Amino acid sequence: MQKIELMAPAGNFESLQAALDNGADSIYFGVEQLNMRARASINFTLGDLAEISKRCKAKNVRTYLTLNTIIYDHDLSIVKTLINKAKEADITAVIAMDQAVIMAAREVGMEVHISTQINITNIETVKFYALFADTMVLSRELSLRQVKKITELIEKEQIKGPSGKLIEIEIFGHGALCMAVSGKCYMSLHAYNSSANRGACKQNCRKKYTVIEQETGFEMEIDNEYIMSPKDLCTIDILDQVADAGIKVLKIEGRGRAPEYVAKVIKCYREAIDSLYAETYQKEQVVIWMQELEKVYNRGFWNGYYLGQKLGEWSNGSGSHATQKKVYIGKGTHFFPKPQIGEFKIEAFDIAVGDTILITGPTTGAKELEVGDMMVNDQKSSKGTKGDLVTIPLGFRIRPSDKLYKIVENKVEA
Amino acid sequence: MVVITLQRNKCIGCNYCVELAPNQFQMSKKDGKSVLLHSTDKKGFFTLKSNENDILEACENASKACPVKIISVKLV
Repeated sequence: MQKIELMAPAGNFESLQAALDNGADSIYFGVEQLNMRARASINFTLGDLAEISKRCKAKNVRTYLTLNTIIYDHDLSIVKTLINKAKEADITAVIAMDQAVIMAAREVGMEVHISTQINITNIETVKFYALFADTMVLSRELSLRQVKKITELIEKEQIKGPSGKLIEIEIFGHGALCMAVSGKCYMSLHAYNSSANRGACKQNCRKKYTVIEQETGFEMEIDNEYIMSPKDLCTIDILDQVADAGIKVLKIEGRGRAPEYVAKVIKCYREAIDSLYAETYQKEQVVIWMQELEKVYNRGFWNGYYLGQKLGEWSNGSGSHATQKKVYIGKGTHFFPKPQIGEFKIEAFDIAVGDTILITGPTTGAKELEVGDMMVNDQKSSKGTKGDLVTIPLGFRIRPSDKLYKIVENKVEA
Repeated sequence: MVVITLQRNKCIGCNYCVELAPNQFQMSKKDGKSVLLHSTDKKGFFTLKSNENDILEACENASKACPVKIISVKLV
């Protein structure tokens, strides 16, 4: 039985490395401006393609370039440049929405994946796009029953893509959902001239709103002011049903998220998927994974529309409900390779034996560990404060300029 | 004098500046980003100094409309 592919978001090299270190089978990323996270200042550039490809190939991880915004005439040349450069760098496939991108990729023989932005909801649409693409992300609004129907028909009718293999169906497994159908939203454009469909969503749906009747000025009473902000999708507790729906790829949302988020979520889903095939997937473990997932950014969890629509699954806050947060402590200054000891300059707050720390960097990724032993300014000590130079045995390599954080409890407002 | 600056590398190519100030901005067919016409580049900041004060309004509208806020307009 073919194992479900776990696809990780990579917004920058830190997250990319975190995905590789925690067991992703594939990663997706954006380059320059034509992707759904164009606003993020952390996008890769054309010059990064070779490095992305090299690092992923070394771990046998597939690479997908997101090129899934709406495309204007003035974009056509950069679309071709991006696709040509991606092909040169041996990137596995392009994730596309616009027909211009699909055509440009097919012209040079680049594999195409259909973005969720196309909003595929039935088998006939799958057949249509099978002329161009081998993998398709279904609409986020389908139930698992509907997804299963589609995957069964692909098998039954032997619907194949340009590669000659059966079409693979991909769905979103974890991360943000929004009030718009498969992300096709004009709210941000309408209010801020900032189009979500050009990767510049201002997330105004995440704010508090009141409803006032214009004629009378009567303000409607609503239980929750965050009426347009759904909770985040989580499927780790229904992963057996997700697998049963016949999907081949599980995508984790979050190219705008921090590297420790990618590390944590990928690690949990890696373990969960592996346990499914080892037939050790069980409720007790799900509880532990859920606790782990709650530690990083989330707006509360629900199963999305996969088990049929449930009303009232709205977030009750504008930000994260994460139970933990990171606090910047300092930066790496030196690494002693033989004893695997890292030296850090403490620039804020303090650090003590027993603290859980997080080290992030473009090559290091996102590594978490508990401080077991520490030297402060060359003296054995249990606590270091601002201005101190501390050395900590790590067991892995760090680089100068890596950032050091302390993980602390995050008090969530009720 | 009107001084307009465009921080070009952050442009997402939405085209609004061209709609609102077509005499000062154009979309590049090469990289799909906005070009401030007749400007000079200093470390990625493209600046145009113009004595034609009547371009001010259009450029200010472009600046307001820019979703990534990379256009600044000053009257000096």
